[in-house]
Amino acid sequence: MAQPFPYTYYACDCFDSTTTTASKRASQVLAAAAEEDERDFDPRSPRSNYSLFPLEHLLYCEDCQQIRCPRCVIEETLNWYCPSCLFEVPSSVVKSDGNRCTRNCFNCPVCTAPMTTNSLDTSGDNGPPYILACPYCHWSTVEIGIEFEKSTGISSQLARVANGGKHIPTQKERDKERERKKELEERRREGRAVMSPSEESPTTDTEREEVAPSHDELFANLGAFYKSQMEAQTPSNPFSSHDINYSSPSAYSRIVNLYSSTTSKKNKRNKHTPFREAGSALEGLTIHDSAADAAAIERIKREGWGSTLSPSTKHAQINPNLRFDNELRPLATLLCTKRSKRCRSCRHILSKPETKVTSTRYKIKLLALNHIPRLSIRALPLNINPAQQQPLAPPARPESAFNYNGLKSGIPTHFLLHLSNPLFDPIRVTLATPSTTPGKVQSRITILCPQFDVGANTDVWDDALASTLSPINRTSLINDAGQIEAGKIWDRGRNWTSVVVEVVPGFLKPVAFPVLAEDGKGGGEAEGDDGGLDEDEDVLEIPVFVRIEFEADVVAEERGLGVSVGGGDAKKGEGGAREKREVAFWTVVGAGRIAPL
Amino acid sequence: MSTAGGERKGSAPLNRSVRGTTPRLADLASTPESPRTPLGRSVSSLFGSPGGSFRNEDDYVVLEIGSRFVRGGFPGESTPRCTLSFGPDEQRRVGDYRQWDPAHGSNRRKRKRGHDWGQDHELYRLDLAQVDLGLVEDKFERAMREAYNKYFLLDTKPKRILLALPPKMPHALMSTLLDVLFSSFQAPSITLMSSPILSTVAAGLRAALVVDIGWAETQVTAVCEYREVHERRSIRAGKLLSEEMAKVLNAALDDEADAGAAKADVSFEEADEVLSRVGWCKSKPKSNRRTLYFPARTSPVLEEFEDAVESPEPAVTIPFPRHTPPIDLTVPFAQLAKPAEAALFAPDTALNEFDDHELPLHHLIYRTLLALPIDIRRLCMSRIIITGGVSALPGLKIRLLAELEALVQQRGWDPVRNYGSASARKEQLLRQQREDLELRCQEGEDQINESLNSDTPLSAGLQSPEVDAIDAKLAHLSLRNGPPPTCDVGGVIRGVETLGAWAGASLIAQQRIKGIVEIEREKYLQHGLQGASREKEVSVLQQRQSMGPGVGRGAGERASWTLGVWA
Repeated sequence: MAQPFPYTYYACDCFDSTTTTASKRASQVLAAAAEEDERDFDPRSPRSNYSLFPLEHLLYCEDCQQIRCPRCVIEETLNWYCPSCLFEVPSSVVKSDGNRCTRNCFNCPVCTAPMTTNSLDTSGDNGPPYILACPYCHWSTVEIGIEFEKSTGISSQLARVANGGKHIPTQKERDKERERKKELEERRREGRAVMSPSEESPTTDTEREEVAPSHDELFANLGAFYKSQMEAQTPSNPFSSHDINYSSPSAYSRIVNLYSSTTSKKNKRNKHTPFREAGSALEGLTIHDSAADAAAIERIKREGWGSTLSPSTKHAQINPNLRFDNELRPLATLLCTKRSKRCRSCRHILSKPETKVTSTRYKIKLLALNHIPRLSIRALPLNINPAQQQPLAPPARPESAFNYNGLKSGIPTHFLLHLSNPLFDPIRVTLATPSTTPGKVQSRITILCPQFDVGANTDVWDDALASTLSPINRTSLINDAGQIEAGKIWDRGRNWTSVVVEVVPGFLKPVAFPVLAEDGKGGGEAEGDDGGLDEDEDVLEIPVFVRIEFEADVVAEERGLGVSVGGGDAKKGEGGAREKREVAFWTVVGAGRIAPL
Repeated sequence: MSTAGGERKGSAPLNRSVRGTTPRLADLASTPESPRTPLGRSVSSLFGSPGGSFRNEDDYVVLEIGSRFVRGGFPGESTPRCTLSFGPDEQRRVGDYRQWDPAHGSNRRKRKRGHDWGQDHELYRLDLAQVDLGLVEDKFERAMREAYNKYFLLDTKPKRILLALPPKMPHALMSTLLDVLFSSFQAPSITLMSSPILSTVAAGLRAALVVDIGWAETQVTAVCEYREVHERRSIRAGKLLSEEMAKVLNAALDDEADAGAAKADVSFEEADEVLSRVGWCKSKPKSNRRTLYFPARTSPVLEEFEDAVESPEPAVTIPFPRHTPPIDLTVPFAQLAKPAEAALFAPDTALNEFDDHELPLHHLIYRTLLALPIDIRRLCMSRIIITGGVSALPGLKIRLLAELEALVQQRGWDPVRNYGSASARKEQLLRQQREDLELRCQEGEDQINESLNSDTPLSAGLQSPEVDAIDAKLAHLSLRNGPPPTCDVGGVIRGVETLGAWAGASLIAQQRIKGIVEIEREKYLQHGLQGASREKEVSVLQQRQSMGPGVGRGAGERASWTLGVWA
């Protein structure tokens, strides 16, 4: 279901090696060590989801001679760009302006489709006002009461407008406003203190702001408050000020403490004027106010489900503390990056795209596809007779008729495991598989020919010119009873070989006598039946351990560090010492879905 | 385009020096391969504060790890860049695109065998017996990779991490998380901060009672002067709440369906969505006046007790596209407040039937306050911060504060709940005290009028004290220079809003405040968590005093590190 059947996943075992024993408890470590060797890969375990990859997603480190999955590479950002307008954003801008496009690219907050800028002008000449509209779900900024004067620089315009069209003060304006208000308050307090020092009530309720300050505003207020407190905390510097960066409190405390032994008394005296807490909304204090909650309840009661936001929409918003649909903001498009990847253990570059945004080419790209045999599976035509008659005909038609989503429990089914070799050396392959699949539905699996050779990936013409590989006489494979003989390969080509796997799909429900089947766990089993199967438990997935051996030139060691890693394989150099190599990995082959009886 | 980029790069330092923000003198001085006279007045490296190049090392990434969500972003920003969840869709294999399949949205997801409610949406749970730490590592690693690659978009420079964690966390779990951050994301150091303290910071307070209604449990932490003083927890939190919501929805669906139909079984996603969209909480306690005792005069809640009955009962229509057949269910609005009632307050159960770990929230808060020393209690009770995912439920905060208020009025701050045979006397004493107090208050109010008349001299105790000019001046001074009077509020129940733990962490990182628990990468990779010193507090200042050749190595480097609260 994950991919259309049949499919193959390759397991990268990096997570095993990176898990330090410190994080495991002693008992786990022992248990793990005990079964480390003969443990079968279990595609059903929740962890396997994190270690299985389609072959196309894997890289290969030539120096470590290992598969590298997205987990075991280090990524380095080469450049940033907006996927919508393809504008390359310099890193300094990314640092200062954040991870979103600062031009005109926006995504719909409801359906995430890219939004377009439309004119609301009815006279036909596309004049102002403009709106952002989603061409897919027809959400537009009209719904939140925002219109723009210009059709460009939308994000800067949007930053200045709150929902409903009100003006949002910029950071500077806000700071100024805060200072002004603070002074005002200060003066008022003084005035009051002079008049009647004894009767002092909290001043916040005398002048309540009509709107509660927004999240951003509160945050800015708090930040400013803490900053002022920190500054008040640290005494004015003892040195001249021009060469030390006094914006850092660590520098302050250092300097203060340099002379703490000599002037400790003085220090102690003026050190402990504690940092006070925020005292007003201007300093970021918000007293709980029941009005907002009551209004929210009232609104839900009135407007119901439609006006509220789904959790995923909320999380996608910049400020996730929203509740209603009139609080939505269009989302500026997230920037994308081009990244190069390095092997985590040896730091060699495994893949490096061209830095140009519009180019899709790679400078360096070491794919596992070119180094690891590709394993694939497909159903063997059910009736072998046509294949017998014309062995070279492509088995396209009968195969398309095969229903991978309806494997029949208990009926032996034959599949072809097809292994093709991308290497330039012939390889010797050993396949292994557990006899029954792990999990609740147990299918029996037999690989009829677990050990075989696959030819080298030589020139395509070699195949045509040399006729050494005669087509295998299929008749000899099938004995009189119509069974396929074990120990022989099914078919072979220039750089590929296929073998037969016999599968007896298991039963989705325990057969016949559930009580007798497992007497010990009768009760539990029955309960499990009530629950039925989990998602995808009826998928027939076969873990296959693949081990390949081949002789290759000794190249990796002599090659300069990562100099000629790119592109062509430098392996063809004849005459060099040959070394025996061995690669082994687990794969998981999804053969189909077992149909319920 | 690349030439444009080069040009920009070339001109960038020029611009900067013109503007004169940070001429990087310290950079020049510290490069060893090109000896030159330090330009300007650079400080000798021994005493100099770290210059430009070192400064950049102070760049932080701020993470908050909860049991269902991870938030990540940068200091100085008010909201996290991303909030990542751990639902089953996030845990699929690479290349598994079924969540985008249109048919996928109409299938109801079944709970996995042997899984608790919502378990496959959790990153971790505190009971490690049920947790596969490897899986936690996998999940966390994938989420962090998404955060770094999709949302942070950092350049190659490694960033320090400020990590907000709940104050109690199993070490095995902590080291799993730290392992990922240190090994996969190359963090040079990680500062741990406990989330109640960060919530306090984000509320602008020094002392607070932080009620964190999270996923698996509610933690009530008393914080005083940025330190956890006392903590209690209860399992009445988000998980129970959504389970209750599922019950309500199932019941409603079953009512709607035909008699023969299969029992409805709402999935976690549906219940969670309903809860977060239209769930609410009655802001006034339902009339359990039988148990509540209100003194005659001070009963502000009493009059509002009865809910006004609205004639057409308001209802909310909830679509269930995943139900078979898809249905638009109309649920009475009052029904949607039931889960919060049942899960968080449990008004129908007598108090003595609760176990220690499942106290209703208002009792939990009350007991926490009760266990505090009196002066800390005074500070904390008027700085109650209600935070956590569930706290967004409209009406919940009002309700909690009202319930607490009622409890305090009913019981006072007396740890003895039952005086047995002496209870009558105690009651009487209390009542008398209260009446005395009220009488005095009232007379105090009256007294102004009376003093205007000034026909009869009052008793000394009721007279307003003589105004001393010096006192007045001092008070005036302290008022002007000291903290504003709101900082001094205490002794009344008062709720304070917070921006949340993540925002607190962002504030702290913005001010470049060093944490007590700072774990260096090298040291961690050598010893793991075992390397922490046993002392709970390592003085930051003491370490920096040491002068000598070692000072230049870096300002923040410490000889030993500690796990602080987490130890």
